[in-house]
Amino acid sequence: MAKQMLIDAYRGKRTDKAPWVPYAGVHCAFLINEPADKMLQDAELLAKGVVNAAKRYKADGIPLLFDLSVEANSVGCDLKWWPDNVPSVTNHPCSDKTPEQAGLKLPTKDSGRWPLLFEAAKIAKPQLEEMDCAMMGLFCGPLTLASHLAGVRIFTDVYKNPEFAAEVIKFAGEVGARAAELYAEMGCDIVAIVDPVASQIKSETFQKFVTPNCQPAIKAIHDAGITSSFFICGDCTKVMEDVCKLGTHGFAIDEQLNLNFVRDLARKYGVGFGGNLKLTLALSLGLLSPREDAIVSLAAGGQHGYTFAPG
Amino acid sequence: MSTKEELLEQMKNGVVEYQEDVVKEAAQAYLDAGHLALDGVMDGLAAGMQVVGELYDANEYFVPEVLMCADALYAGLDILRPHIPKKEDDVNAQVVIGSIQGDVHDIGKNLVKMMFDVAGWDVHDLGRDVPLEKFVEEQLRTDSEVVAMSAMMTTTMLGMKKVIEMIKEKNPNVGIMLGGAPVTKDVANLFGADGYAESAGNAVSEGIKMISRLREMREK
Repeated sequence: MAKQMLIDAYRGKRTDKAPWVPYAGVHCAFLINEPADKMLQDAELLAKGVVNAAKRYKADGIPLLFDLSVEANSVGCDLKWWPDNVPSVTNHPCSDKTPEQAGLKLPTKDSGRWPLLFEAAKIAKPQLEEMDCAMMGLFCGPLTLASHLAGVRIFTDVYKNPEFAAEVIKFAGEVGARAAELYAEMGCDIVAIVDPVASQIKSETFQKFVTPNCQPAIKAIHDAGITSSFFICGDCTKVMEDVCKLGTHGFAIDEQLNLNFVRDLARKYGVGFGGNLKLTLALSLGLLSPREDAIVSLAAGGQHGYTFAPG
Repeated sequence: MSTKEELLEQMKNGVVEYQEDVVKEAAQAYLDAGHLALDGVMDGLAAGMQVVGELYDANEYFVPEVLMCADALYAGLDILRPHIPKKEDDVNAQVVIGSIQGDVHDIGKNLVKMMFDVAGWDVHDLGRDVPLEKFVEEQLRTDSEVVAMSAMMTTTMLGMKKVIEMIKEKNPNVGIMLGGAPVTKDVANLFGADGYAESAGNAVSEGIKMISRLREMREK
């Protein structure tokens, strides 16, 4: 395990080999024979699951949590829990109100599940350090959080009610900055903005709503002296240049993208990139050979700013 | 006064350019001129949505644009649909339809929904970003013969498997159809679905095939 090698790759530097991060998520619960909902609501179990997964998969880094409901929950959204998945957000406080009208407040260390995460980090961090494994903090990006807060309307509001959309997404960006500060305070070595639905808008919309509202979080991460990244899902081909220009040290993409294209773009901008083992088609469903898929990813990624990881 | 072809073109372009008012005016003028509502739906609105699908596939349109186009489509459909006569050979069946939780894109789902609509089915549209258990609740509430789900992302696609398991556990005789960009026939089979629509681009033709398959299923 090699934490510094991972940090170097995330920052777009050359490494002796490609470092490896399993974004294990609720799979951590499966590995310790616990239901996901139980693990995610128990600091000791969460730490146990994460440390166990890092050890089992010889990870160079691992997220403390991969659950994009934390931020929404910490500002007032309700959750539905699942035994084999992350919880779902069930209500949208900004469906007909701005965050201010809905009385939403920025989260503190005591909001929602943040106290539990601090407790889990306190247990997991020394054990991960001992294994030379980076602890990563992942939080919900501005557009995805805005869709939790306002519902699907946020996607048409970027045209029909741009002022409303701007207000909700700006608030989401501020919540993200708070989350970034909290993960930095926990001792995370890498903090990433995770905005899966940001792939579903065009470049102009990305530049108008996503880029500016990631800046407070990026500043918080960099002010803490740690490494930043931006994770995006789906086919994000048309916004890849915007992702590269966001200001993070690197980014991670999902299985729908061509890693050769992504590698060339990342190197052009001097940022790190991660991916893109086929999480569903190979690792979850077995429709493709995970071994061959891994060989293809490693060959495409190389040893220059590349992190081997599920996409 | 505009010809039938001109009005169809206005509806089609209005959908593509997400101009709800243009679509409404053209649809009303089309009806007032005494043209067949079904032709208006198929050759005007659906034709427009097919172009939208192509623009989406080409990464020219994204979710916001597609949702705006869908709003224009439904503005026209609200005007034309009540004037489509029920046919004697229409399938007297119900379908629950929706885009799976986490997915906000529903162009394929809307096209398939429209096909079910015009084929005389009772459609219970749950919309997009639908919580998994909602599919089960709605199927039980309506006793629908078919549940149709779409997904756009590989990660959200996995939720379909859970819905199929939940529905089949309660009612094994329900026919389940899957569609959406990451879904393949293999995935549909693996998840235990009964039918599959290849992509948004061919959702209309797939919708027709699905209806035929379901008719056969019902006859058996």
